[in-house]
Amino acid sequence: MLAWLESSSLAVWLRESPSLWALPTVLTLHTMGMAVLVGASWLLDLRLLGISRNVPLSAFRWVFPALKVGLIVNVATGFLLFLRTATTWGTSIPFLIKMCLVVASVATLMPIRSYVFHSEPEPEVSSNVRLLAIASILAWTGAVTAGRLLAYLMP
Amino acid sequence: MPSITAINVTHLHLLLNHVPTLGSIAALGLLLLALIRRNEAMTHAALEVIFVIAVVTLPVYVSGVAAHRNMRDRPELSETAIRVHQDAALAGFALTEFAGFVAWIALWQSRRRGHAARGLVPAVILLSFAALALMARAATLGGEIRHPEIRADLSASAAAPAPSPVEGPAPSTVEGSRRSGAEADSTEQFVTSAISMYMVNSPWAWPAAETIHFLGLSLSFGVLLAVNLRILGLMKQVAFADVHRLLPWGMLGFGANLITGMLFFVGQPGQYSTSAPFYWKVVFLMIAGANFLYLTVFKKAWAAEGLDSSLTDKAMAVSSLVAWLAVLYAGRMLPFLGNAF
Repeated sequence: MLAWLESSSLAVWLRESPSLWALPTVLTLHTMGMAVLVGASWLLDLRLLGISRNVPLSAFRWVFPALKVGLIVNVATGFLLFLRTATTWGTSIPFLIKMCLVVASVATLMPIRSYVFHSEPEPEVSSNVRLLAIASILAWTGAVTAGRLLAYLMP
Repeated sequence: MPSITAINVTHLHLLLNHVPTLGSIAALGLLLLALIRRNEAMTHAALEVIFVIAVVTLPVYVSGVAAHRNMRDRPELSETAIRVHQDAALAGFALTEFAGFVAWIALWQSRRRGHAARGLVPAVILLSFAALALMARAATLGGEIRHPEIRADLSASAAAPAPSPVEGPAPSTVEGSRRSGAEADSTEQFVTSAISMYMVNSPWAWPAAETIHFLGLSLSFGVLLAVNLRILGLMKQVAFADVHRLLPWGMLGFGANLITGMLFFVGQPGQYSTSAPFYWKVVFLMIAGANFLYLTVFKKAWAAEGLDSSLTDKAMAVSSLVAWLAVLYAGRMLPFLGNAF
């Protein structure tokens, strides 16, 4: 299955094309998606931890559509990057660690989302939600770190 | 192509290199005058000038490295003198950036509370004076590259075409200039070379700096997204003052990226100084820096809860986001668009 993915014409194009639209553009879009996804996530986490507490939590609802865009872009571009070297990456520990961290980060967003949309106006943020925010910050930090280090750990 | 870039950039260095010194003198004069006259608006203007000088000092530094590359095949110029100038310039650059950073904090606080914290403006004055002193030293050492006749210590100009007859253990006024021409080949004594060796040889320094660079990028971008989208009409029910509260977090991310970015640049200067997209990145950083200053100090949208921002403010917000995306694009595409990698 991984070998089939890696030998697909799309994967070959990404690996071998000298075009700026191949690997360079995919990598750049992945980085821009990361900036939106991680940046907007952290922003919300900071608010939950008490930064800019004057801003009502409901004012941060725009973050979720932004996160959705970032997530869609990065899942798509991430899949293309994975295709390129599916056989080696698919079985490598660093890559699997990164995937776990991304899943963990996105998982923290689910309860945070329901909190932002359904909480009463202006309550003190409960300690559970604060813990979630800290977990979210750390999971994204781990995911970005693992992703960046893949370039050095993987051939 | 790279030689054409280098020639233009050398001109740019010779043009801009007066800004850190002359600009700082003007800004410090303005700031002192403002304090004597107790004029708040003038104080803010002076702080803004100090911030702008910090922004412009980035192209001054990086264009200097390109100028250096362009002079490699000119044996009449002393490599040692260039290296000594480079070290002095890095020190001056670091302190200028720090002064600009503290000036920015003072501006941010002034916007929020009407005045900066006690002691912050005096701190800016001290830092700017120190930065000016280091920059003046760097400028003098830079001038000596083409004008060995102004050197205090003629015996140090051994690499100059006509070695001075005054040989001997003349006391050197300039640290590091005691080396003879032969010793100039070993460059390990220079701070810039030491940083470069470390960045290139350490197995983890470069990956670690890259990781911090990406984390800083995400933090900065998240904050700028919120602040600029507020101007563009999202979160309208929120006072701009409350979004303004987030700016230091953006500055934190940017600070991390300036430091790690400079580690890359000093680490592998040849990789960047001959690369066109790197200069595009610097150009867009200038635009983004100007936008950031505007976001920090502008008045119009400040109290405009629920109101539409003016067209100017919206244009600023759009240009800010576009400039940061362009910085990110040029940075990420550097290895592919440039010819140096």
